[in-house]
Amino acid sequence: MACVMDGNGRWAARRSLPRTSGHLAAETTVIDVIEAARTAGVEWLSLYAFSTENWQRPSAEVDFLMRLVRRVVRKHAALLHARGIRCRFLGVADPRIPPALARDFADLMTLTGENRGMTLTVAFDHGGRRDIVAAARSLIRGGVPAEAVDERSFAAHLPFPDTPDVDLVIRTSGEQRISNFMLWQVAYAEWMFPPVLWPDFRAPHFVECLRAYQQRDRRFGGVAPDANGERRP
Amino acid sequence: MTDTRSNDPGNTGTEAGVGELFGDGGQFHAFFNDPRWALAIIRGTVLEAAHPQIGGALIDNSTFVTHPWRRLRNTVVSLQRMFGPDDEVRRREAARLNRLHARLRGTDAHDRPYDAMDPEVRAWVVATLFESGVTMCRLSGQPLEQDAIERLYAEFRAYLAVLDGDARHLPPTVQEFWPYYDRVVEERLENTEAMRVILYRLFDHLPAPPLLHGLPTLWAAGRALVGPLIGVITVASLPEPFRRRAGLPELPGAQTLMQSAYLAVGLARFLPDGLLRTDAVVDLLSLSPGSDDPRARTVSALRDRMKRAGALIRLITPLPPEEPDPDAGSAARRSAEEFFAAVLDQTGDGYLDWPDLAAMARELAGRLDLDEPEETRLYDAFAGWWRELQAALDTDGDGRVSAREYAVAVPSLAGPALIRVAEVLFDVTDTDGDQRVDADEYRALFRAGFRRDTAGADGTYTRGAFVRDFLAFMSGRERSTPYDPLLADA
Repeated sequence: MACVMDGNGRWAARRSLPRTSGHLAAETTVIDVIEAARTAGVEWLSLYAFSTENWQRPSAEVDFLMRLVRRVVRKHAALLHARGIRCRFLGVADPRIPPALARDFADLMTLTGENRGMTLTVAFDHGGRRDIVAAARSLIRGGVPAEAVDERSFAAHLPFPDTPDVDLVIRTSGEQRISNFMLWQVAYAEWMFPPVLWPDFRAPHFVECLRAYQQRDRRFGGVAPDANGERRP
Repeated sequence: MTDTRSNDPGNTGTEAGVGELFGDGGQFHAFFNDPRWALAIIRGTVLEAAHPQIGGALIDNSTFVTHPWRRLRNTVVSLQRMFGPDDEVRRREAARLNRLHARLRGTDAHDRPYDAMDPEVRAWVVATLFESGVTMCRLSGQPLEQDAIERLYAEFRAYLAVLDGDARHLPPTVQEFWPYYDRVVEERLENTEAMRVILYRLFDHLPAPPLLHGLPTLWAAGRALVGPLIGVITVASLPEPFRRRAGLPELPGAQTLMQSAYLAVGLARFLPDGLLRTDAVVDLLSLSPGSDDPRARTVSALRDRMKRAGALIRLITPLPPEEPDPDAGSAARRSAEEFFAAVLDQTGDGYLDWPDLAAMARELAGRLDLDEPEETRLYDAFAGWWRELQAALDTDGDGRVSAREYAVAVPSLAGPALIRVAEVLFDVTDTDGDQRVDADEYRALFRAGFRRDTAGADGTYTRGAFVRDFLAFMSGRERSTPYDPLLADA
């Protein structure tokens, strides 16, 4: 399952604080959600932290975010590792990412790469279309004939091809958009749009979303409601 | 120095004698696990390299400076095949060596031609091996019996005969060998560049074997001590007339040091049988951490732990208040210069030239144990890639590509010829031709099993994924691919 972490700016605006303090407040939620997901037995959790479009934000905010992410990564690295969580960073291709941050990402991936617990994918500098374009490029470079391309072989060229399809996406703050997030993997995902802003989102909200998801009737385009609620998110 | 007397069929050692000269009972086999060989091989290689033709070929083509451990393993495996009991294996290995040597010809820095197929040259290589074996016993105070020497000589002549078809260029008997040897030492050998590289550069810059990459400081410290020592010991063990001719230094005490070294290493014969096995040691040295050999797994588990510990330490070290962003790049990619030095410049001369790519083709062909015509296809693909690289990157027109030229033009690297290399490599790796590389074929190339993320859903590796990974390695400069142990590690 996946979370689009939306609403930090609005959270801060409602409190007449600078946008950056919204990001600061988001840290608690991130850790809370990771813990809640782990407890609920979620095996694959993706968090949308920073999109390729987010570079258009004011450079001061981007700088702040970079520093914040670095601090958060370093602060929680040991804990994540101790909890047996395998961390990966999806995207992270832009040269604007500070090298020190990129090294921390790489270090965290090295540190937790052998863990067998939950896989946490942080989409950072991620764009769903860009991933699809990258996969297409790699297919063309690989000289794969057109007839040989099917959905499965295409998916094998996406970054982190072992990531399964996303079953449930939670987008906080009530916004109902996809925003270029893991486009390929969310094809059959159920979406939830809780109105609560990300910094206020807590484990109970998360569990509530999971429960609501389990009530849903997933048909994957068919009519027989036989896949109802059986699959674990 | 052609020796016409040996046209006498009884002396050629080709047909009849072969069977009994090779195999487990031979004198060579008795020597094979002797740790003194380590010193003797270095000495023999120096004597080889002092031959102007061999020196020229080594300087131009050999990867031993940058990838010594890989090279050592290939040599030992080849010797094992040549001296093993199986005639068919020997015949194939000889054919492979001949094809390999046929590709090594050119002119050296003084415009003198060299040719690895020249029978005189090949006779000298075998002569140095034989003489170093005999001398190592003498120097360690346990000289061989006369009949053991004769038998060893017959074995080495038979080796040459398998390679060349006959052993005419080595004198038929040991008695005639020594004058031949002295004559070559006094008249032919020179102070070549290749010899100096082995004596003075190789051991000072010897890269750590792949398994020890995690311990660079320890390795460097040991090397700083042992490197010069090996140089001194080797120089002292060379024939006196040659030392004089080449102007090599005579250090006080060097002779004693050298003899003590041989004596000390020779004492290893009192160790229990089977404790020291050359092939085991060499395997271990050239083992890459990614391989799934149990020994490698132990060491690489240790290394992974150290790596993870390093990552953890970096992550939990408190940040300085406002870090001035050091030049640390992402560990997953390497800079163009780094890639150039680690992968492309196989011969370590600072330039990318045909011998570098030929060395890659040679290594790949060796791994996959290719026969004709697959081997030629692979070489041709690499040759095509070389022409593409040369056309695209050689901006100053000197016929080779420098690290700077490469770094400037890097983005345009993945041209059609490189894709062709990837495809040919896929074809020759996919031995059963089912358009998929299965686990066994994968192991032949990489000496490791599939990784968790390599294989597709059905446990095989498709052409598309294979080509993609190869290109990612060659052009994307991606690290930690299975190609690293194959082409980048020592």
